[in-house]
Amino acid sequence: MIKRVLIANRGEIAVRIIRAAHSLGIEAVQAVSDADRDTMAADLADRVVVIGPASARDSYLNSDLVIHAAKVTGCDALHPGYGFLSERAKLAQGCENEGIIFVGPRAQVIDDLGDKLRARAIAEKVGIPLVPGSGHVRTVSEARVAAEALGLPVVMKASAGGGGRGMFVAREIDSIDEFFDRASNEALEAFGDGTLYLERYIENARHVEVQIAGDGKGNAIHFGERDCSVQRRYQKVVEEAPCVLMSDTLRKSLHEAAVKLVSSLSYLNVGTVEFLFDVERDAFYFIEVNTRIQVEHTVTEQITGIDLVQLQFLIAGEEPHSLPSQSAITINRHAIECRLNAEDPFNNFMPSPGVIQHWCAPSGAGVRVDSHCRDGYLVPPYYDSMIGKLVITANDRDSAVQRLSAALEDFKIEGLVTNIPLLRAIVDHKDFRDNSFNTKWLEQSMLPEFEQIQKEE
Amino acid sequence: MAKPPKGDIESLVRQFDSSDWTELHVKTNDFEVYLSTNPNSSKPGGQENAAAPVNASVSTSNVGSKVESADVVKLKTESARSVVPEGMVGVTAPNLGTFYSAPKPGAAPYVSVGDRVTADTEVCLIEVMKLFTPVRSGIDGVIKEICVADAEMIEYQQLLVIIDPA
Repeated sequence: MIKRVLIANRGEIAVRIIRAAHSLGIEAVQAVSDADRDTMAADLADRVVVIGPASARDSYLNSDLVIHAAKVTGCDALHPGYGFLSERAKLAQGCENEGIIFVGPRAQVIDDLGDKLRARAIAEKVGIPLVPGSGHVRTVSEARVAAEALGLPVVMKASAGGGGRGMFVAREIDSIDEFFDRASNEALEAFGDGTLYLERYIENARHVEVQIAGDGKGNAIHFGERDCSVQRRYQKVVEEAPCVLMSDTLRKSLHEAAVKLVSSLSYLNVGTVEFLFDVERDAFYFIEVNTRIQVEHTVTEQITGIDLVQLQFLIAGEEPHSLPSQSAITINRHAIECRLNAEDPFNNFMPSPGVIQHWCAPSGAGVRVDSHCRDGYLVPPYYDSMIGKLVITANDRDSAVQRLSAALEDFKIEGLVTNIPLLRAIVDHKDFRDNSFNTKWLEQSMLPEFEQIQKEE
Repeated sequence: MAKPPKGDIESLVRQFDSSDWTELHVKTNDFEVYLSTNPNSSKPGGQENAAAPVNASVSTSNVGSKVESADVVKLKTESARSVVPEGMVGVTAPNLGTFYSAPKPGAAPYVSVGDRVTADTEVCLIEVMKLFTPVRSGIDGVIKEICVADAEMIEYQQLLVIIDPA
């Protein structure tokens, strides 16, 4: 059993980890930067060590510092949280070298899955579908053949680069002729290489991900899937579980694919296998694996009743029978999480650090708020702008959406600009209520509408 | 190297927040901070990013730097001395680590109480994962007190040595 853990993170997840540790009788040592001395995590911890200045690079992102802090405070384990160093193989390896239990996967697995191409190769090897693509296409006729084989629509991509340059979506076969030269020229200009390839284009994609846990000996289970399709700039804004759009048949094979992938790696501790769900074609494709606890783990906890951070400690401490059997995981509720950020949705999402004069969070049955904020707390300007997570649990999606809307209205944060008005507009939007949106909806449809309404008012 | 005002820019943000000012611009040789309540304002000098309400970059490295008035570190296990007597100058830790008073075990310490030092004199070593970094006095004077025992853990900004600049 782990006796004392160093928490190498900050904010709400540090608070969350300390509470999970305490509930298992584990002592918590909180590593803080100079800016985080007076925080909730520092108050809750059994001991606090100031590791460095406010700048994350010289504090939370310095793996030698956090390992040293764990050693000199007599910790036998280190929890990296999410973000910061959580997916650096170097930290896991450093802990291993020092005889400190890293609460996460083994360094080699973090390394393998951290490299996108290697992760794709691993997925392919165990037969998990990737977004179907062609080899290099050199001529228009080669492109036409490849497009027919993949099924339209397809997207033409530059083989040498990314970032949207040389990318064209072809919805009809004749558009291939039209776009081929332009795509090739653009690719040549941008990357010095005009080689193209084609990929199946997913018009209506949902981001779904499967929460998994493994015992490091080849046994792994899943905790169902989450749907995190409300995104802005690849940042998740609203997450929910389960993904009610998915058929039971497809859901079953999605879960099996995730478990198969991590079992093949003898994965240790918890993780998330991310997929794109192609609603029209009723198919899913592998994206990547996140080798850490995620921000949105809460919705899975709410529908399964399992405390995933406690589970992390139990698995890491090699407690006997710490990995539940798959049959012990049952899902029969619906949960939705909103990420609360100190940012201004009416002003290009400008971060808005400052002092919280008054913090009044909603509460009641089915309402969970994970946050490190309180009256008088200064949201510092150095780190990301998330100030908390509001999680609603109900019997079904409709009731959860309704309660979420009311809870957002009840949430009062004074002294700080937050994204709550945007969250309310999302949750009250017809498309969201109808569960009729995809990963591009927020950016391409909802936000422009939201901005237009603001202008008119 | 001048240190940003006490308590870094947090205290600036707090004071600014509780004032009725709409703009605050502080600039020294080493750092610059601009605060504004106007979401459309931009950094003075019209540089790249709009900066509202806070856009700050601060150098907080203070190896061997002068601490005008040390922050009192409130820790549940804190026992080390943390206040510099009036007229004295403290040398503080640039990060968490392990304090060593001598270059190697058994060797004479870098400095002892009563030693005269110059700004370049090494006063101790700080170890982080077997990487040893010397800390310099930063000022001419006489060693008044060594606040940490050999091989003890030290935290960021912890007071290591007190120097009388007389």
